[in-house]
Amino acid sequence: MPPNCAAVARLLLRPSTATATATSCPLRAIRAASTLVRPPTSASPQTTPRSLSQSHPRPYHSTTHPPPPSPFTPTESAILSASYAHVPTHGFTPSSLALGARAAGYLDISTSIFPEGAFSLIKWHLYTQRTALAGKKDSIAGFESMSLTERVEALTWERLMGNGEVVGRWQEALAIMAQPTYVFASVKELAELADEIWYLAGDVSVDPTWYTKRASLSAIYAASELFMTNDRSPDFSETWHFLRRRLAEAGEIGDATRSVREWLSFTASAGVNVLRSKGVPI
Amino acid sequence: MAPTPLLLRSAAATSTPLRLTTSTARRLLSTTPQPAASTGTSTNETKPKLKPLTPSQKAFLSSALRVNQAGELAATLIYTSQTPPLLRREPHLRPLMSHMYEQEAAHLLTFNTLLAKHRVRPTALYPLWSVLATGLGWGTAMMGKEAAMACTEAVETEIGGHYNGQIRTLLEMVGQWEAEGYDVGEEFRELISTLRRIRDEELEHLDHAVEHDAQKAQPHWLLTGVIRAGCKGAIWVSERV
Ligand SMILES: [Fe+2]
Ligand SMILES: [Fe+2]
Repeated sequence: MPPNCAAVARLLLRPSTATATATSCPLRAIRAASTLVRPPTSASPQTTPRSLSQSHPRPYHSTTHPPPPSPFTPTESAILSASYAHVPTHGFTPSSLALGARAAGYLDISTSIFPEGAFSLIKWHLYTQRTALAGKKDSIAGFESMSLTERVEALTWERLMGNGEVVGRWQEALAIMAQPTYVFASVKELAELADEIWYLAGDVSVDPTWYTKRASLSAIYAASELFMTNDRSPDFSETWHFLRRRLAEAGEIGDATRSVREWLSFTASAGVNVLRSKGVPI
Repeated sequence: MAPTPLLLRSAAATSTPLRLTTSTARRLLSTTPQPAASTGTSTNETKPKLKPLTPSQKAFLSSALRVNQAGELAATLIYTSQTPPLLRREPHLRPLMSHMYEQEAAHLLTFNTLLAKHRVRPTALYPLWSVLATGLGWGTAMMGKEAAMACTEAVETEIGGHYNGQIRTLLEMVGQWEAEGYDVGEEFRELISTLRRIRDEELEHLDHAVEHDAQKAQPHWLLTGVIRAGCKGAIWVSERV
């Protein structure tokens, strides 16, 4: 029996997964003698060249050429989407992953497919929720007639609601994301979410506010997400108020920095004009 | 298909080394005929077969657009800060300065639009370039007309070469697509023709600067040398940060 097979068996033998074990254990025992069994339809998982694109965040987005392939191979997607269904009960854990692998037709789950373990499942959640926003945008009532701020608010809320199903497990997920090994990938994903929201909202600023907008939205989103994990109000109405307050505060800060900048440039040009009127040749 | 040979021919044209020692070489470059790409785009009944961009192509495009925006931002600020002190001594330069400024402002708008459309982040050193460019424009204008023109000469020499390098890389990229049986597509045809047009306008500015005594600036070699080195450094940094 390959060692990873034993790991799955150990996971499946936990009391919490007893029901699943009862049905799947004999099957596992039969097939475990053979090596890793893959579903006949899918090709062997390939390692996609992700390192280059990871080192260049926000690369050129073509409007006509075909989009880049999903960061997950078809095999990974099949297992992860099946595993995701187990998250509300089993959490972002190797147990969910093992259950999903079985449901997707894998008797074993090769550790080489998911070297990051439970974090792969978290990444799947983050990726699928972020990419689903573009489609959700169309179902937001009156989106086109909203102001930029209102659009950002609506999209951020849509994304927060994407955590609704797994909210009971989200604190565990945050704890995993905060581990030193995963913190970089987690922060990068947060930055991509903020970029996605501003892009979908139709913001076209390409000056220093590009950075401040993304930084403040990332902070607000992260805070709201954490707030939501403790929110017991119906339809997360307290999270909604929390989000609105944070966005309003950020708007005030934006106004403040803008007025400081305007004041500085006004003062500078006024100073130059005074000096010029005194005959200083500048 | 008409675009193929035309694209290849203009690839040869742009691979002419950018030599600025003689005015003929400059003329050759700045009067490069517009590619037929803009006119020869047939409305295609069948959907063009486009190749997905590789990560390194995306990285190149992202850093190219970012550095171009930074450069055009700097150019508008150089002219903005140069103009008042310069026109006080040389009022007759007003039409030239406003013509060059308007072209730079249009270039900046072009790249701002491209950055937003293609989701490219602006340079993180935006405020630094703003301050440096304003200082350079004002400083050279205070030194006199010749120094101001030498500044334009130096900047446009670097920028012209820089745009040529980008055009060459893009032509290699689309040439490769064509060799593999893919279409080039409107997005890249347009990008290449935009870069060519802007490159030609930059080289016109260079001509104007030389016509207006840029080379009489004292000491010309030091001034242009320092500014060109500064441009090279700024391009290097903007491509990365
Ligand atoms: Fe320009
Ligand atoms: Fe120029």
